[in-house]
Order: sequence, then structure tokens, then C-alpha cells
Amino acid sequence: MKERIIELLSAALPTVDLESDFLFSELDSLGVTTILMLLSEEYGIELEAKDATPKNLQSIDAIVKMVQGKMKV
Amino acid sequence: MSLEEAIGHYARLTPDKAAVITAGGTLSYAALWERIRQKADTLKLREGEPYVFPTTQDADFIVTYCAVHLCGGVAVPRSVSGNEIVNCKSSNSKCSSILFTTGTTGTSKGVIVSGEAWTANAENLIDRLGFTSDLLFIICGPLNHLGSLSKVYPTLMCGATLYILESLKDLPAFFSVFSLPFRKFATFLVPSSIRMLLQVAPKELAAVSRKIDFIETGAAAISRHDMERLCQLLPHSRLFNTYASTETGIICSYEFSRYGCEPGLLGKPMKHSSVRIGEDGRVICSGRTIMSGYAESPEATAQVLRHGEVFTSDTGFIDNEGMLHLQGRLDDVINVGGYKVNPSEVEDAAAGFQPIADCICIPAPHILLGTVPKLLYVPRQGKEVKPRDIADYLKGRIESYKVPLLYEAVDAIRRTYNGKPDRKAYT
Repeated sequence: MKERIIELLSAALPTVDLESDFLFSELDSLGVTTILMLLSEEYGIELEAKDATPKNLQSIDAIVKMVQGKMKV
Repeated sequence: MSLEEAIGHYARLTPDKAAVITAGGTLSYAALWERIRQKADTLKLREGEPYVFPTTQDADFIVTYCAVHLCGGVAVPRSVSGNEIVNCKSSNSKCSSILFTTGTTGTSKGVIVSGEAWTANAENLIDRLGFTSDLLFIICGPLNHLGSLSKVYPTLMCGATLYILESLKDLPAFFSVFSLPFRKFATFLVPSSIRMLLQVAPKELAAVSRKIDFIETGAAAISRHDMERLCQLLPHSRLFNTYASTETGIICSYEFSRYGCEPGLLGKPMKHSSVRIGEDGRVICSGRTIMSGYAESPEATAQVLRHGEVFTSDTGFIDNEGMLHLQGRLDDVINVGGYKVNPSEVEDAAAGFQPIADCICIPAPHILLGTVPKLLYVPRQGKEVKPRDIADYLKGRIESYKVPLLYEAVDAIRRTYNGKPDRKAYT
């Protein structure tokens, strides 16, 4: 899943360092929304504004964890 | 009354009332005024001396901005490129601030805005949008841009309260503001931010609909669909589409929640502004809100500001009711969610990247922003070029919103007979 998420986000957000441990600080509002929309569509989950916290978007690993958590619901 | 006089006035009248709230805390009018005076004492500026300072999304920005004015200096909030340092060696005493923009000309320039223009902008907004003292106005865009800075004035000149957010990216933080004990909330959102909220936060928006007094949008075209959807979600709110630029100031605004969702319709000029259409269809603005000129650039000033009128690059018409309708632009500027990007500036910056032999920057459709810059590039022979490497190179050389979001390697760039990139061939 991690590789697929990196692939998806690299194509949509080429200017963002996805390997960063401070990913949220790299993002702007467009980046946050792009991540929510792309992952909602790819994994058939409902990612909303309340999910866009600095903790959930801190790194790729945190994003993977958020997606996995949503898929279990 | 100037912004600083207003803050001093409310520091005496309502000293304990919140003037500026950030994640870091609350400054009352009395505390804000005291900090401005203390800061002014440390600055020691000459009359008309430009003072360049970082654009931070906090109360420090307001303190420094006002302190510079209190000293008689010229406030120059710095952007990413930092060009302000070399471009603002001197200024005249009428000047209150210099804001850097791509705006009307498509090239980054320092726009001189007088204190009188700021006051007129504030009065235009208070009159048309209805700022009142019980309002909490949420700033979620960069404070060195007109869209946000122009709202600081009417908010504090009414004795109301500002809430400054770093940006709109922390959506839970944005919505948490609405739990504060204020009766009325308002904000300015560029159309792409509205699109974003409609996509990922419609339930949250609807939940605070009774609290939102008004939302103003502007700086780029908003679609009929987004206007209608926003009206549905916020049936109790007043929703405005405003025509403004750093060069012209705040000119027109149209309450689409009341009079109907019509794309491109910007309403009648506000009380300190006038607008007419030139023979070439160009929108020409005049009145007390317009800029004094471009810093250190009399030639550029003469191109745009003539006989008290600002000749914009926007095209439009005025209908029988005197309302302005925008139709497009006369130049190649790409409007990215309200930020203007000159493709030549992007190409010039990218040309310095050795692995690229040639490139062209063109507009491309984008689901959220409407349009974004896309870079078509020709890799130098034998070189492997990753979009990420180009983006990394461009970061720091041009402002972040100008860095293309989309990239495509091509075999050659089509050019016109005189060697310029043939943009029309790609549209």
C-alpha cells in the first residue's frame, strides 16, 4: 500500500518531498485536499476535513496508518 | 482615520476586547496598541523609509506593519523571492506600504499603496460587505497579499476581531475557530479554497452555516456550480464575489447569494471607485483606492497608470445596470487559484536548470485550482530529468505557487518565427 500511495501522490504533487518526516509542513491547502481526494477515491474510503490533521499527515507512514484505519471501519 | 489611529482609538474605548487571535493566544486592543508603540520605539525609521520584514501569519506581523507606519516608514512585507530588498531602495512619503505582486503586468513588481488608498479600500469593504464590531474575521491567506491584508483594515477599523490562521491546510483548526464565543464570523476565500471546502468539508461547512455572516471570494473566476453549491450549504450567509487587484484596490463586489449566481458578474463599483471599459475591452479603474505606482519602475508605472486610471489586463463589459462583468485577460498570465503566474518568469527560471535544453510553461486544467502551470520540457541529450528535480530547482528561485504542478517531457518546443515560445500552439 505504501508504494502505491507514494506513486499516486508523486504524480499529483511533484513538488512535495514525500519522504519527509515533516510532510504536513511541506504541504499547502491544495496538497492536503489532493491527498484526501486521491486516497478516498483509490481506496473507497471517506476521508474528510477532520482527518486532515498534522498528525495524520505527518509522514507517508502516518498516511498509510490513517488509510488502513479507515478501511477497517 | 488610519489603521493605527483606529487601533489607538479602540485601545482607549474597548481596551480589553480581543483585537487579534492566533493559535498562540489573544491580543486585546490595549495590548496590541502597546506592542505597536513599543515596536515603533525600536525601529527608528526615517519618514518614507522602506522597512522590509518577514511575512508571518501571526500578531507580530500586524504589530510590525503598524509600527512601521507609526514611525512614518513604509511597510514592505517580504515574499519568498526576497526581491523586495533590492527593489525598494527608496520611496516617497505618501507611500504606506509596498506589496509585491505579479498582478496586472504579469511580472513581479512592488506596488506602492498610499495610506489614503488603504483607508478608501477599508471604507469600500465596510460599506459593501457590512463589517461590524461584533464580527470575527478569519484570515487564512498570506498577509502580504491584498486579499488578506485588505481585510485587516476594515476589521480593526470597526473595532472587530481578527483570527489569523497559518493557512487553510489545517481544516480542523479552521473549523475550530467557529466554536469561539462570537456571534458572527466572516472570511475571505479564493475560489480554489471554496472548491476545496466543497469537496472535503461540506458537512462541516453546513454545520457552521448559521454562524457565517459573510464570505467574500475573488482574485479568480468562481464557477456557477460552486456558487450555487455554496448558497445551498450556507443559506443564511451573505456571499460576495469581489473585483480587486493590488494595483486597483477593491473596486466592485456582487452579492451572489442575494441576486443570483452569475459567473464573471462582479457588481457595481463601490463608493470610492469607478470603472470603465476601454476600446479594446480592457477594464480601466480609477478612484481613491488605486496604487501610487510601481516602486523603482517609472516605465512600468507609465504602462499601467495613466491620468489617474489603472489599465488592467482584464477584459469585460458593463451592463445596463452599471454592473461589471469579467470575460478574460489580454495577456498570457495564468491565474492559479487567485495567484497570477507569468509563464515567461517560470520559463526563465527553468532555463537555468542545466539538464533541460528547452521548455515552455502553459496553462493546464486542474480539478481544484481550475488552471495550473504545466511545464513542457526537452531533456538535454543523454540526461534523465525527473519532474521532482525541476520542481526542487525552481523552489526558492520563484514563489511556490509559480512552481508548475504538472510536467511533461517532449521532443521539441514549438516557437514562433521570431523565436518566442508559441503559446497559442499549445492551447
